Amino acid sequence: MSKLHLFLTLIPLLPFLCTSFSPENPSSRRVLVLFDDLALKSSHSLYFKSLQSRGFELDFKLSDDPKIGLQRYGQYLYDGLILFCPTTERFGGSIDLTAILDFVDSGHDLIVAADTNASDLIREISTECGVDFDEDPAALVTDHTKYAVSETDGDHTLLAGDDFIESNVILGSKKIEAPVLFQGIGHSLSPTNNLVLKVLSASPSAYSANPNSKLSNPPSLTGSAISLVSILQARNNARILISGSLSMFSNRFFRSGVRKAGSPTKYEKSGNEQFLTELSKWVFHERGHLKAVNVQHHKAGEANEPAMYRINDDLEYSVEIFEWSGRSWEPFVADDVQVQFYMMSPYVLKTLSTDKKGHYFTAFKVPDVYGVFQFKLEYQRLGYTSLSLSKQIPVRPYRHNEYERFIPAAYPYYGAAFSMMAGFFMFTAVHLFNK
Amino acid sequence: MARNLVGSLVLVLAISLCEAASIFQPISESHRSAALELFTPADGSFGSLEETYEALRTFGILGIQKKPDIGTGSCQSVSETLESSSSTTKDLFFALKVNSILECKIDEAIFQDITSRLKAVVNDGNSLLDFYYSISSLVLIKDQNSRVDVLLGDADGIFRSIKALSQSDGRWRYSSSNPESSTYAAGLALEALAGVISLASSEIDHSLIVTLKNDIVKLFDSIEKYDDGSFYFDEKLVDAREHHGPLSTTSAVIRGLTAFASVTSGTINLSGNKILGLAKFFLGIGIPGNSKDFFNQIDSLACLESNRVSVPLILSLPATVLSLTKKDQLKVKVDTVLGSSAPPLTVKLMQAFISGSKDSSVIETQELRFDPENAVHLLDVLPKSVDVGNYIFVFEIVLHDSVDKKVYTTGGQTQVPLFVTGVIKTDNAEIAVLDSDLGSIETQKKLDLAGETSVSLSANHLQKLRLSFQLTTPRGKFFKPHQVFLKLRHETEVEHIFVVGNSGKQFEIILDFLGLVEKFFYLSGQYDIQLTVGDAVMENSILRAVGHVELDLPEAPEKAPHPPARPVDPYSRYGPKAEITHIFRAPEKRPPKELSLAFLGLTLLPFVGFLIGLLHIGVNLKNFPTSAVPVTFAILFHLGIAAVLLLYALFWLKWDLFTTLKTLGFLGAFLMFVGHRTLSHLASTSAKLKSA
Repeated sequence: MSKLHLFLTLIPLLPFLCTSFSPENPSSRRVLVLFDDLALKSSHSLYFKSLQSRGFELDFKLSDDPKIGLQRYGQYLYDGLILFCPTTERFGGSIDLTAILDFVDSGHDLIVAADTNASDLIREISTECGVDFDEDPAALVTDHTKYAVSETDGDHTLLAGDDFIESNVILGSKKIEAPVLFQGIGHSLSPTNNLVLKVLSASPSAYSANPNSKLSNPPSLTGSAISLVSILQARNNARILISGSLSMFSNRFFRSGVRKAGSPTKYEKSGNEQFLTELSKWVFHERGHLKAVNVQHHKAGEANEPAMYRINDDLEYSVEIFEWSGRSWEPFVADDVQVQFYMMSPYVLKTLSTDKKGHYFTAFKVPDVYGVFQFKLEYQRLGYTSLSLSKQIPVRPYRHNEYERFIPAAYPYYGAAFSMMAGFFMFTAVHLFNK
Repeated sequence: MARNLVGSLVLVLAISLCEAASIFQPISESHRSAALELFTPADGSFGSLEETYEALRTFGILGIQKKPDIGTGSCQSVSETLESSSSTTKDLFFALKVNSILECKIDEAIFQDITSRLKAVVNDGNSLLDFYYSISSLVLIKDQNSRVDVLLGDADGIFRSIKALSQSDGRWRYSSSNPESSTYAAGLALEALAGVISLASSEIDHSLIVTLKNDIVKLFDSIEKYDDGSFYFDEKLVDAREHHGPLSTTSAVIRGLTAFASVTSGTINLSGNKILGLAKFFLGIGIPGNSKDFFNQIDSLACLESNRVSVPLILSLPATVLSLTKKDQLKVKVDTVLGSSAPPLTVKLMQAFISGSKDSSVIETQELRFDPENAVHLLDVLPKSVDVGNYIFVFEIVLHDSVDKKVYTTGGQTQVPLFVTGVIKTDNAEIAVLDSDLGSIETQKKLDLAGETSVSLSANHLQKLRLSFQLTTPRGKFFKPHQVFLKLRHETEVEHIFVVGNSGKQFEIILDFLGLVEKFFYLSGQYDIQLTVGDAVMENSILRAVGHVELDLPEAPEKAPHPPARPVDPYSRYGPKAEITHIFRAPEKRPPKELSLAFLGLTLLPFVGFLIGLLHIGVNLKNFPTSAVPVTFAILFHLGIAAVLLLYALFWLKWDLFTTLKTLGFLGAFLMFVGHRTLSHLASTSAKLKSA
């Protein structure tokens, strides 16, 4: 009875609990964390603590808990999902592969950590995201040249990765100095999926194979084609992080020092904490989420938007772009925002000038081709959510009375006509009254 | 009894010998720094007395000196809790726990008061938690103030009523009304019962203690095991009010067990292996991330460190990667779980075998030399028979003192995986292009795999490429690394990887390009050759660009496979596009204005000529009517014509067609009329003339 009562009071709150990242209400976000062993909650607590300190409500559940579910009554209960359950063959409750894909398709974020002996389910989820893990279940990424020197771990499967993607928006503006420790399985990116990106790649000497069996055939994954950590930003701006190692999120790796083989510098602390925290900021839209507002265009010297332009008009276009910083919308500063004046193909493509306060503007002349044009702002940059604005506007030709009159080149014609008329007038008089 | 125990222990370990081994390190400095990080007081105090106790106890066990100063604030809340009559037994329990560490000044009267309250709870308690908190509190009061009478009169009765909650499998229920049994509760019950024994005014019935010992043995039958040899307890029921994870459950059982063992005489028949396994469980979790888990880990290890059942000794190796080239020494440390030194003992290296193979031991049993300065056991030089490779070394701890054998558990033989690494020498590396049919050598080049030289070769599809080299270990044996790849990379980044096989004593690969043309997608051009040789035990793994080979392959037939699509470079895909500006239609070319004006003049010339012509032929207007009416019509007619011409000019200048036509209509009718009158007048005058 009391449960029912509680439930009834919660119903009106549901719409607030279960939105994906929306520009209107971006804060207060709930994340479901699924484990296959509850001990992970403690052994990976630094990672969770960094999320909680940034205002995320984490809901820790065992992956086979029969009560878990992503949505109830058609509403999503969570904004993000963290799968730290590499060996789970089936989820409990109503969660399955399709439920997770629907969750992502509705714009929610996902973090998947696989590990050796990753289950088919986790592999399938990854495959749907354009990430193919090594099919050999016992394979580990091994690197005999760029491994992390350890007194106790001698099989060179503990990698010191420092081949990061070059993107400040994904990894933060502060450079990651220390290498990132990685121990797990490698994956390759599907060449047909161009949304998925390698964030951390293996070094050219790496390969993915079972360290305990002799190699007779070349391994399917070698060299820097191996991706250790990948991200994907779907077309609906849902973001996904896929890592081949669960232990890279652990407190042990966060705290551990690292020295790369062949390099004399020893770092007191591995780059894992910085790397994964910055990545989680990206995944949960605390960085790189853009919104464009206040799109305006008008004729030069006017203020109101016309219903139609004439060819050869001078026009001004402006837009304001903001980036979500985790707490508020900050002006977005870039110098490569471009607008297109588009009909079947761009007639004008111009880079917008900016006042560094989020206001972008430009001016250009309407082409001398008439038809239905669009102002198109397609902003797709590495790591940022894509902005796609388009506004339709017709362009008409000159009206008949808008052409130039009294062209000097036509003076002989005018002269001829008028002298003819004058001649005619005189001729009528002379013809009629001459005697 | 103890001898039996050791005997069975050795037997169990001999069986478990073939399992995967892993090393556990005792508590070290990293735990101390983590403790200071985890237990940081906010505003000079921890949240509750429970947290305060956990922090203080952890600092105490780890021997942290520069702990945060929380003494005065905590003492105040301790005395407030103790004085308040509304505090629950749980509050009192934690207040007393904090007080046992801080030793605040508390009046004896307060103790008296609490004691009587607690005794009342004990006597009519029916839930396990009531018993646990009140009895434990009484034990704490007994330690803190010897003058207060805390002894329980009816200890046997209390013992029985707690015991009544136990289940047949060694677990306990929280209360008689709750049928679900819990392992965590068993731990609490054991601690409470230990408290009853220590508080008993008279000796507890011996048979009760014997049954309880059997219960403990039964409880330990439900222990669970990880593959690495660590043991733990887990709560079976998940739906309990408060779910306890394996860590807190195991911790509760250990606290109960050690408390019980410290107050009873005689041994509890528990395998030392399980105690060691429990210690391994706590060490195996590393550094927990939350303070509760951290406290449970450290507190349980402290309980194990000084327990009366058997104290586990942990054998650990500071380094398990030993370099043959650098002549690393094999070092073994034996410590208690908290890292304090062990009693006098000898570590014996029993066996060593190559991992993965079931061959016999490569070395003979030998004792390690003890270095008292660093408290490590050393093997100065690895035996000659140990070459590079992965080994499993088997150690055994032999305690010197026979009394120690009863106190400590060593786990018998311990297996440790070891990596013996070394610098591998490469010899006779050469690369050659062979003619296919004859096998004769076309070009042959020596390679220095350590150096920086690069070769350039050329071959066609009828030839072969041969690469060969030898690898030898520091002990002069032939070495087979795990990773020996030859990679050919075309200019278009199409890669082909080959595993270099070994035949007897040397690595050799022969690439017959005739058979490979299809695999190479008929792509002629320059291929970079890269050789990768690596192994876990090879200190100088090679990743080297050997050079390049210029391949001349035949033209691709029509149905040849195409090279796979290359992934798009993300940096170029997302870059800004090139700007596009519209090219406007150029305005038509026009003549200069002067030319137009000149032609305007030319067009006016005929008019001028016309006027001159008129004057020349001497035109006159003599035929103009003279009478009034025809004059009017003639003037109107010509005005009408002028108006039509003006209308044309107006049409040209500003009017549109409709206005013009409308006006023209009126003007036309008017002109028709006046024209007709004028013309008929002119016709009549000319007719008169003719007739005249």
